[in-house]
Amino acid sequence: MKTESTVKYVARLALTLLLITAVVAVALAGVNAITQPRIETFNAQKLQSAIEEVLPGGGESVAFTDDTGLVSTVYKGENGYAVEVRPAGFGGTITMMVGVSGDGKVLGISVVSQAETAGLGAVCAATTSAGEAFRGQFAGTSGSLAVNKDGGEIDAITGATITSRAVTTGVNAALSCVANMG
Amino acid sequence: MNFKKQFREGLLTKNPVTVQLLGMCSTLAITTSLFNGIGMGLAVTIILTCSNILISALRKVIPSQIRIAAYITIIAGFVTIVDLLLQAFIPALSESLGVFIPLIVVNCIILGRAEAFASKNGVLASAVDGLTQGIGYTVALIIVCVIRELLGSGTFGGGLLNGGEGIRIIPAQYPAMQMVMPVGGFLVLGFVIAGSQWLMKYLEKKSKKKEAAK
Repeated sequence: MKTESTVKYVARLALTLLLITAVVAVALAGVNAITQPRIETFNAQKLQSAIEEVLPGGGESVAFTDDTGLVSTVYKGENGYAVEVRPAGFGGTITMMVGVSGDGKVLGISVVSQAETAGLGAVCAATTSAGEAFRGQFAGTSGSLAVNKDGGEIDAITGATITSRAVTTGVNAALSCVANMG
Repeated sequence: MNFKKQFREGLLTKNPVTVQLLGMCSTLAITTSLFNGIGMGLAVTIILTCSNILISALRKVIPSQIRIAAYITIIAGFVTIVDLLLQAFIPALSESLGVFIPLIVVNCIILGRAEAFASKNGVLASAVDGLTQGIGYTVALIIVCVIRELLGSGTFGGGLLNGGEGIRIIPAQYPAMQMVMPVGGFLVLGFVIAGSQWLMKYLEKKSKKKEAAK
């Protein structure tokens, strides 16, 4: 550096970086303010439609007891329960809704959010025929489930055994939670 | 500034994927369906162009000792903006690409172009560079996507055409699932790089012959 003193030089570097981060922070705050309401409405809609999908008619949030630590919310409706479970998948937590009838049978499952590998684990939430087929096999089941690799009856998504196992674990958690409620 | 030359460089002779071998992580990970390839390509192109423009405009203000920190802050800012906008307006794409959108921050193409080009060239040239490099990245991704999807799932245009199912070309029992797994990514990428090398050699020979004929 030319004739600039060390103090001035360090201050200049710090101030430049501070200025850049401050501008970026303000820009992000602005974008967040615009997009947040939309994202929130969208997530709320998604949650609502997931409940409707597995428990026609929807339901009200009720108190529950859970031994697995995976259940986050339970909604009670006329025909049974919609249980929100959060098992750990391959790329993070999978949030899913499991519909369970009063006599302990799975009514259906729906994935609310996931961060699984695109094209493999993400199939568990996809609206494609492979995704529908994977979720469809849970309907009507009861007791304790496992994927076929572990000697169970659930056909895992090809190339995504860990994701399939996570979804199965979630369904089991929901079933045992409803069983506890009687 | 030579737009045609930059375009040629981005698409073929200095293609970020097949020649510079940058951004391999996303190239291998998300190229399992056409929808992912186009979405990721567009997201990177937009972020790359924006960050190139801003970094080029600030290139005389940012002291070189802190340039990497400054570039990463700017890039991370743009990536987060695109991530939020995708979540709010194109949630299907945001869900499909998942964690790979935030990971664009560490995609070396963007920092690479900031360091190699935008920090040394004017705003307009940098914008064109971002656009052409982004297009080169997108084209390479799409080629890898189409091959992997065809061999691995037997479809074309997955997530995009035919209501997200893709058009079935090979009956469902035949495709080799390994092609959409990591190993297929490495294999296909290797062949695509070889193909682009062959094409470059071929074009070079052709232009030499033309000159000799003159």
